[in-house]
Amino acid sequence: MKELEKTKRISIAAVLFILAVLIGLLTYERPKHLYAINTKSTLEKLTSDDYLITLNDLNDPDQVLIDVRSQFEFEKGHLENAINIYTPDILSDENSDIFEELKETNKTVVLYGKNPQEVNPPFLILYQLGFDNIKMLAIENSYLQNKLITKNSEIERSEADITTFINESRENASMPIAEEVVSAPKKIITFKKKKKVAEGGC
Amino acid sequence: MVKKKIAKVLAFRYKMLAAILILLAGGLVLLPKYQKHEGIDPQKLLSNVISSERYITTDKVAQKLINRDPSFILIDVRDEKCYADYSLPNAINIPLKKLLDEDSRTYLNQNQFDVVLFSNDNFYADQAWILCNRLGFKNIRVLKGGLNSWFTTIIDPMEPSQNMPAEAFDLYSTRKAESMYFGVVYPEQANIAGSETKIEAPKRVITVQKKKKRVAEGGC
Repeated sequence: MKELEKTKRISIAAVLFILAVLIGLLTYERPKHLYAINTKSTLEKLTSDDYLITLNDLNDPDQVLIDVRSQFEFEKGHLENAINIYTPDILSDENSDIFEELKETNKTVVLYGKNPQEVNPPFLILYQLGFDNIKMLAIENSYLQNKLITKNSEIERSEADITTFINESRENASMPIAEEVVSAPKKIITFKKKKKVAEGGC
Repeated sequence: MVKKKIAKVLAFRYKMLAAILILLAGGLVLLPKYQKHEGIDPQKLLSNVISSERYITTDKVAQKLINRDPSFILIDVRDEKCYADYSLPNAINIPLKKLLDEDSRTYLNQNQFDVVLFSNDNFYADQAWILCNRLGFKNIRVLKGGLNSWFTTIIDPMEPSQNMPAEAFDLYSTRKAESMYFGVVYPEQANIAGSETKIEAPKRVITVQKKKKRVAEGGC
């Protein structure tokens, strides 16, 4: 009799366990947005520079322009045939559908904004989510008497040579260049964070 | 009769249960692997990215440099050549290409220092920041406007015109003083320096009062 009781318990426990696993599987929800590209390959893409295009490259009919500025600015003036998708909304359902569709139809998505810096966040997020048909338009938009003026902008252009400026200022002040203020080098001691060993699971 | 049938089925129950468990385990193997899904949720990344919290102004950085604030490090994400030409004092060079190398991670993935990233503009620095943020690195900030802004605000500040508020003049004089710290010499400053002989700061001798020796108390 005792033996029977034991086996009964085991079977009940096994059934409950299977139920729990089943419920877990059925209620499992795939996250809406998943990265498709890891940071390493994203970095490679960023350093390759082939994601940047200029106004002169804008003549392919397969290109779809997307304006990431706010609706207000978009309505004030925008490039021809551009769609407005404001940066904070790029992950919303309908906009994801738009990007998804553009990818399926092999169109090139060209993002632009007020300046290239502003396009960085939406570009990087969309690229990491796997939309590799995406490019960035390196332009600067400004207004003159409420008219949109668009011009190419050079990314990361160094506007001034600071070393020369400082040396010139010394020369102008007829001060010898010789003595240079050398501040004591800062010692930076860093500790390597121990890599966490992947915890179980799959 | 019915009882017999039930008994027959029940005889197999363990085998059946075991089979179901094995099937479920097999299902787990088939689950898609999310190895590429490293870092924080894209939605969260987006909300981090669109806030401008990460920016730090050139004025703040200048003040930190002058005060020799030990709690922060500057990281130059431009290439080696630009770094050799000019960089902020005590900046470390981590070109964007090497951002995710093991050596760079020791600077980026830690929680003792505030890290300030900068480049000529804030374009590359922003990109570096976004990648770091996705990986969950904390305490990273971006110099707003980068070195171009550093030049126009600190190194070569624009003189305010007469009709500007007093704050603008205060700011200008502060920035001018800061630019002197970073090596710029103004003609009027040179005149003063030329006429003046070096006066050494008088040495202050701080005497420390010796504690009076206590005579041992008590005893017999």
